[in-house]
Amino acid sequence: MLSLFRTSAPEGRLDAMPSMREEPPLIVILRRLHRLAALPGDRWVTIATLGFVILLWAMVTNLGLVRDLFLPGPALLWAGFVDLFEEGYKSRTLWEHAGLSLERVLGGFMTGAIVGTVLGLGMGYNRKIEAFFSPFIEFLRPLPQLAYLVLLIVWFGIGETSQIILLFLTGLPVSAVAAMDGVKSTPVQRVQAARSLGAGDWQIFRYVVFPSALHEIFTGARLAIGVVYATLIAAEMIAGSTGLGWMILDAGRFLRSEYVFVGIIIIGLMGFALDRLLLYLERRVVHWAGKS
Amino acid sequence: MRRSLTGTVNAWRLDRSDASRSSTKSGVLRGWMRDGRWLSIVSVLSAFVAWAILSAFRVVPSDLLPGPWEVFRTLVAILQDGYRGTTLWQNIFATLYRCGGGFLLACVTGIPLGLAMGYNSKIGAAFDYIVQFMRPLPPLSYLVLLILWLGTGDSSKIALLYLTAFPIVTSSAMAGVRSVKTQKVQAALSLGAGQWQVFLHVIFPSALPLIFTGARIALAVTFSTVVAAELMAAKDGLGWMVFSASHFLRNDVIILGIIVLGVLGMLLNRLILSLDAAIVHWRGVE
Repeated sequence: MLSLFRTSAPEGRLDAMPSMREEPPLIVILRRLHRLAALPGDRWVTIATLGFVILLWAMVTNLGLVRDLFLPGPALLWAGFVDLFEEGYKSRTLWEHAGLSLERVLGGFMTGAIVGTVLGLGMGYNRKIEAFFSPFIEFLRPLPQLAYLVLLIVWFGIGETSQIILLFLTGLPVSAVAAMDGVKSTPVQRVQAARSLGAGDWQIFRYVVFPSALHEIFTGARLAIGVVYATLIAAEMIAGSTGLGWMILDAGRFLRSEYVFVGIIIIGLMGFALDRLLLYLERRVVHWAGKS
Repeated sequence: MRRSLTGTVNAWRLDRSDASRSSTKSGVLRGWMRDGRWLSIVSVLSAFVAWAILSAFRVVPSDLLPGPWEVFRTLVAILQDGYRGTTLWQNIFATLYRCGGGFLLACVTGIPLGLAMGYNSKIGAAFDYIVQFMRPLPPLSYLVLLILWLGTGDSSKIALLYLTAFPIVTSSAMAGVRSVKTQKVQAALSLGAGQWQVFLHVIFPSALPLIFTGARIALAVTFSTVVAAELMAAKDGLGWMVFSASHFLRNDVIILGIIVLGVLGMLLNRLILSLDAAIVHWRGVE
């Protein structure tokens, strides 16, 4: 079963499927961005720019250069914010809309990430499994997610089922490719060392391959939750009657642009929080990453 | 990192020698058999057979899941007569035009900005927060605003795709510049290179691999977003075709649209990969 680690030219394993081996750079950008925090001496530039943008916004709206409909001013935005918090939107509170969106994201993400990771581990481990499933993953990955939402709606109707299936199909290929890459980038020496110490196939998987792959799996999960979240907002806008995506679409129809702005800010903050949550989990669980 | 990098290079060398050895037809076939790639063909074929059986024996009602043959007939019909007054090529072109327009605009503005942000820490500090705030925002969320500002025509869609691709392209260019090894820059400087020469001959080539990676991600995201935008408000394009077919329960058109979109997405990815391989031939080689 572990034949891939026993070949005479172990490094050759990396090129088994050249078209599928191309993903890690994507992860590299994500990792590099961590180092991009501004230098302390330049902090005043950041503050000055942000201050300038806010000042410009306040001036343009207060002087009436732009209509409130197109760009609500700070006061109107705050009023909309308070309004949404206190009154909610269309018979549901803001928390209910946010909660429903969050529930769908987590439902679709969890199922997609779990199935995708298991599949990816198998694909990284065994060439035959990889060959069998890679055409589907390769087809699914670049396919615009919203295209099959239409089909899912025709099949399952407008509702939770079609949205969760959509998010499942969105998260699955991302997680699968990351897990596969994680398994494949396990240093051969480690596997050989474990084997020469008498470890069996299952022990090698449990104590060597899986821990090595876990870092990539988590990075894949962060990518997946980003895509899933973006897809959900789109899905709610196209076929939904609750959730944050629907809220801003509906507010846009009634030209309540202050609600649209507040909605965008809340959506952005929630996406940021989801990403940070996974990053925190990754740091807690994969504490050995980068220490090999 | 270093180990996996040399591993990739070694693998690449192995691959090259392997390919030259088995360049004959039977060699290729043997290579496929050994790699298990024949299983890929088996899996695709079995999916098609399962699809055909499901629809032929009416396991699923045929208006819910039309068979492969029906979809093929629809393809022929649409190629000949078009779909509701638009030809298939017209729809493909409309989608690609929006996608390409937004993407190219983002590259033209985002790459120079990202390079400047990576090169000069003051420029970086000024724009970093704005770009990093835009990056995790789901693109469709500001489509509502763009429609309010620019109307439902092509301009709001191109603006949306521009805003989708821009933060990705910019941050990858910035990450590319910041990942240049200091030793390389110092070596060039000590050999007497000027600022401009260092930028042109050292920093830019080192940043190019990440720029291309960012462009590839951006193109994929743009392609997904264009379809979503066309579902919301459009009069042509592949997304519109799929969405309007759903109103008439024309599942054959929907499936055809999904297949066309999938193939198009794969082609776009291949295109940028081959550009990458042709231009950034030094990728992964230190």
